[in-house]
Amino acid sequence: MLSIVTERMGSICSRHKHYREADAEENAQAAEIERRIEQETKAEKHIQKLLLLGAGESGKSTIFKQIKLLFQTGFDEAERKSYISVVHANVYQTIKVLYDGSNELAQNTTDSSKYALSVENKDIGEKLSEIGGRLDYPRLTKELANEIETLWKDAAIQETYSRGNELQVPDCAHYFMDNLERLSDANYVPTKEDVLYARIRTTGVVEIQFSPVGENKKSGEVYRLFDVGGQRNERRKWIHLFEGVTAVIFCAAISEYDQTLFEDENKNRMMETKELFEWVLKQPCFQKTSFMLFLNKFDIFEKKVLKVPLNVCEWFKDYQPVSTGKQEIEHAYEFVKKKFEELYFQSTAPDCVDRVFKIYRTTALDQKLVKKTFKLVDETLRRRNLFEAGLL
Amino acid sequence: MGSCGKDGGCPSDYIAVAISLLCFILLLIKATLPFLVHKVPRPKGSGFWIPVIQVFASLNLLLSIVMSINFLKFKKKHWWQSCYLWAVWVEGPLGFGLLLSCRIVQAFQLYYIFVKRRLPPIRSYFFLPTILLPWIAGAALLHKKKRLNERCHLVTRWIIPVVFLHTTYVAALVGFTVAIRHIEFRFHELKDLWRGILVSTTSVGLWVTAYILNEIHDDIAWLQVTSRFLLLIMASILVLAFFSMSSSQPLLSKMSLRKREATEFETMGRALGIPDSGLLLQQEPAPDIDPNEPLDKLLLNKRFRQSFMAFADSCLAGESVHFYDEVHELAKIPVNDPVRRIYMARHIIEKYVMAGATMEVNISHRNRQEILATPDLAHPDLFHNALNELLQLMKMVGSE
Repeated sequence: MLSIVTERMGSICSRHKHYREADAEENAQAAEIERRIEQETKAEKHIQKLLLLGAGESGKSTIFKQIKLLFQTGFDEAERKSYISVVHANVYQTIKVLYDGSNELAQNTTDSSKYALSVENKDIGEKLSEIGGRLDYPRLTKELANEIETLWKDAAIQETYSRGNELQVPDCAHYFMDNLERLSDANYVPTKEDVLYARIRTTGVVEIQFSPVGENKKSGEVYRLFDVGGQRNERRKWIHLFEGVTAVIFCAAISEYDQTLFEDENKNRMMETKELFEWVLKQPCFQKTSFMLFLNKFDIFEKKVLKVPLNVCEWFKDYQPVSTGKQEIEHAYEFVKKKFEELYFQSTAPDCVDRVFKIYRTTALDQKLVKKTFKLVDETLRRRNLFEAGLL
Repeated sequence: MGSCGKDGGCPSDYIAVAISLLCFILLLIKATLPFLVHKVPRPKGSGFWIPVIQVFASLNLLLSIVMSINFLKFKKKHWWQSCYLWAVWVEGPLGFGLLLSCRIVQAFQLYYIFVKRRLPPIRSYFFLPTILLPWIAGAALLHKKKRLNERCHLVTRWIIPVVFLHTTYVAALVGFTVAIRHIEFRFHELKDLWRGILVSTTSVGLWVTAYILNEIHDDIAWLQVTSRFLLLIMASILVLAFFSMSSSQPLLSKMSLRKREATEFETMGRALGIPDSGLLLQQEPAPDIDPNEPLDKLLLNKRFRQSFMAFADSCLAGESVHFYDEVHELAKIPVNDPVRRIYMARHIIEKYVMAGATMEVNISHRNRQEILATPDLAHPDLFHNALNELLQLMKMVGSE
């Protein structure tokens, strides 16, 4: 990362350099530099710039990791090992949020006995909550894992977890809690799944360059994908990336219609996503930029929508459930999709109607699905390029 | 002199109007000069609006006096010369009441932050209209009951409650100032406040006397002329003195007119005189850095912190490191110096913690609320949880 930065800094600086001396040697050097800059800019021109945008926890970084897995070398053992501390931190943070949450619910709700832990579990909870507040977490040992498991299985904690939408419990909670045994192994090395599930808030900007070479090696496009943080404070940095963007991949977590923002617990996540999407669509820089809307976290959505009606969210308040089971899920999904479609056309000025807009149903954790989706994205963008060049 | 005492336009009246005009121009210069000359960045929120409202209220006060008690001679009566407009509405809720309310809001903020050591529980854009309500109610009552005579003067019975309202607000301001008198402010806020109050209470005293004389004896011409002369002059001085009082914006008031000093205070840490804050000195020996140490230990090293900050800035993730740096500076201020700690804490909150701050950091709602609702701004662990949360993020920036 640092090397990319310095490289780019170098190219910027040299472009502004003035050559006043008439020294022949220096002239030759200058010519060489000029030639290389030209070469570089030429190469840059072919690189398609993709931005991953969306609110916090919408799955941008998971998509980013998937792209790394699919089109780059993936994660080697050393890289996967570097995720041990992240996975363990997720475990400790989850149990702390749940334990503290159960205490809060026991105090603030009328039905407080539901959230009261047994005495011995309370001791464990206090201890784990203290660990979860620390700066450095201890390595997850068998004993700690057992204690976490005991606490996790406590009825009060499960009751609290069922109200997780009020508490900022990460999506990975269930997955990691089910795998405690494996995670606490002394020789534990995170698997590909563990890495994908691991939750870290992105801050700043991260980028990778890749080329989605398919089986038949036909595709030659080079993409540079930028991943950003999604919380409100991070969005002021996005503007630095807005120039010359081929396509925006906008992630919207459709399962979060009953949750509030990490950074502002008075705001519904879906409402925030709606406003954010609108804002991004209206950016003057994006008049010709293609929009790929990923309606993400479909796996959680299909489970949730049968239990929590879609109309708890203000944006979807005119939703009427029609049936049950699979049909109902499809109906709810189509409803959400239509809302986003309407929003797109409302927020698109008449002079940028010819930009591409596609909606994809995704689960960022599902590698096959992401691969398929990205293939479609790639195809769309190449078609668009040919069209722009007048070849189609 | 006989008729000008009644209808206005005496030479002394013109002198008074000229002086008040001069005072107002001086006030405008004083308010805008730091921004025009030194390009001081515009403060945000109440720090900007309260002074603007004060200037507006000052203008209203002076204008209302000129208009309501016959300084100028008008040939014809116009509808906009209505007594109730000038003597009641512009003088009260839009003039004197507004001016004092602004000051009370500022003194209240200082009182809460430095004496109670917490952020004011009520936002100033809400507090200001609230304490202005008695003035609006009073003006409405006067207007409804039509208690002014044809010369714009109050009926005697009403003078006492009106003067009482004026003095109550002065007393409230004095009260808040007394409450913060033992705080040793870093940037002479208190000295300014006292100086301001001294000048303003004296002028308010004289002003009230002149006001009462002017209101009661409206049959003696020379008394009318003298008292209204005094009234306007005192109001002009009051307005000017009021604005000179610092409004607890340390960096701004420090930088106001002395450019040479401005460069010395690039950071709040330096303005507060925290030892070896700010930039790295070249002659400092470079201690060995062991890259295997945890990040929080490494960050204690200034050289490491500076280069890590530059790196994080380059990936647009710098605000966390800057926040760490300033909290680190805060930790250097001894606990027995709460005033300096509060200055620094407030600066950090305004720059990094408030929603929408220029360098807002990526922390959870809970941690932000915990800081904003703190019962003690000088507490050593005020930013502890937020910092822990951010160190987790910084680790990831470092490992990318």
